[in-house]
Amino acid sequence: MKRILKTILVGSGVMLLNGCGGVPEEKAASEAEEKAFAVEEVLEMVSKENDVTRTLYTKAIVGKGKKQGMKFDEDWRKDDVEAGPLPALFLRGVATSIRKSPVPLGLYLGSDFPVNAANKFEGKQAELFNQIKEDQKPQFFYDEDQKLHTAMFADLASAGACVTCHNDHPQTAKSDWKLGDVMGATTWQYPKDSLTYKETVAVLNSYAKGTVDIYMEYLDEIENFKDSEKPEIGDKWPAEGNYLPTAEVFLDSVKKLSSYETMKHLVAIK
Amino acid sequence: MFKVSPLRKRQVIGGIIGVVVGVSLFYMFTLEATEEYVSIGPMNTGHQELNCFACHADAKGNLLQQVQSNIAHAVGARSTGVDFGTQDVTVDNCLQCHDRPNDRHPTYRFSEPRFKEAVQHIDATTCITCHTEHENERVSVANINYCMNCHQELDVENDPLDISHKQLIADEQWSTCIQCHDFHGNHRYEVPEKLKDTIPMKLIQSYFDGGDDPYGTNKKYIALSQEAWLKTLEE
Repeated sequence: MKRILKTILVGSGVMLLNGCGGVPEEKAASEAEEKAFAVEEVLEMVSKENDVTRTLYTKAIVGKGKKQGMKFDEDWRKDDVEAGPLPALFLRGVATSIRKSPVPLGLYLGSDFPVNAANKFEGKQAELFNQIKEDQKPQFFYDEDQKLHTAMFADLASAGACVTCHNDHPQTAKSDWKLGDVMGATTWQYPKDSLTYKETVAVLNSYAKGTVDIYMEYLDEIENFKDSEKPEIGDKWPAEGNYLPTAEVFLDSVKKLSSYETMKHLVAIK
Repeated sequence: MFKVSPLRKRQVIGGIIGVVVGVSLFYMFTLEATEEYVSIGPMNTGHQELNCFACHADAKGNLLQQVQSNIAHAVGARSTGVDFGTQDVTVDNCLQCHDRPNDRHPTYRFSEPRFKEAVQHIDATTCITCHTEHENERVSVANINYCMNCHQELDVENDPLDISHKQLIADEQWSTCIQCHDFHGNHRYEVPEKLKDTIPMKLIQSYFDGGDDPYGTNKKYIALSQEAWLKTLEE
């Protein structure tokens, strides 16, 4: 009798523990899908998009905008400053937006002669940046501490505005920058060593969304200008007068400039 | 109904009392009204009105499923374990109410490899390093000299201070930073130009401990209330 009771007790215990099936395992849907790209390829793709976006912003918005009397300032978010974000802060805005998205992509900008001393490269990044300055080739490494695949890409002085602003800045650490110089490097991080098509597109999309987000913040800032003249926002660019493109027009231009390169990677036969 | 041997009567009564008391306690301590007795300590300043669920979301599955999954994980039949009871609280929980575009030191920025050494001294990648919850205070750092980990090379052009930033750094006066600059840059206030006019450390310490805000009440961003946060979840 006792043995029967014991068996029933143990049996029902096991049933209770196993019968309900446990918590479903969180297998990312992507695990079943085929990995299409190495993380290095994806980071190279998104970094190219970044190059195009930043060059467009620096040349067509900041450079031409300044000629129209528009102001760009590192303190652009301050209440008493009526200005737009400088290119480095534009990138930081994109990075912030990406961090808020579900895509686990990290983006940072640094230099060996930054305007803000706190942005100076140190350790491994400083070491690799010296190499980048020599050959302008991307550098990849695996960050053991954070378990993140990390890539660094040269950030070039691609527009006249980069050179003049940095050379003339009161806190500049270097005042002889020239067009084409490696002024710094972007650092990108991603946790996986390979990505599916879906994940790759999500990375590219999160960057594009980041661009729109920070650009929209700039347009919102303009909306609140009290003393400065507000540029007309529509489909025209600062090159034509006191105009600024809408976020859609800006992103459209980025896509036109970068889509061929990105597409080439995405559809390449493996 | 059950025949109980007189010798086992006390055991059975004790058992029944145990089950009744256990179930009652479980019921009582999972009520909203008793949350403060379950909490491991009084909430920090500004968080007093929050319910447990605001940070401690229920873990996936029921308790039995969680036990089963973790046993399966322990014997190697499952690749990952699961949260038991409630989910772990992460930076993302904090950011759901405190995220804003104007944070001068957002946590994510310190994930960059170059902050590796600084993060070993003070882990700025997570909120709880400085804001340990359930301590009935605002800021829980042991020493207010944390700026030294990144700003050793600061040089302010046309420095308006009577004792320059460079001099203060050379003298390792790292606790003076906070007398003008709040770490997250969330206050609108006039920064003094003379060191003697800066906020005394006593007031800063009292602020950290949960007292009045010495930087003033004019804030750039106000964190979401629990109601406002719940509304964001519905969107």
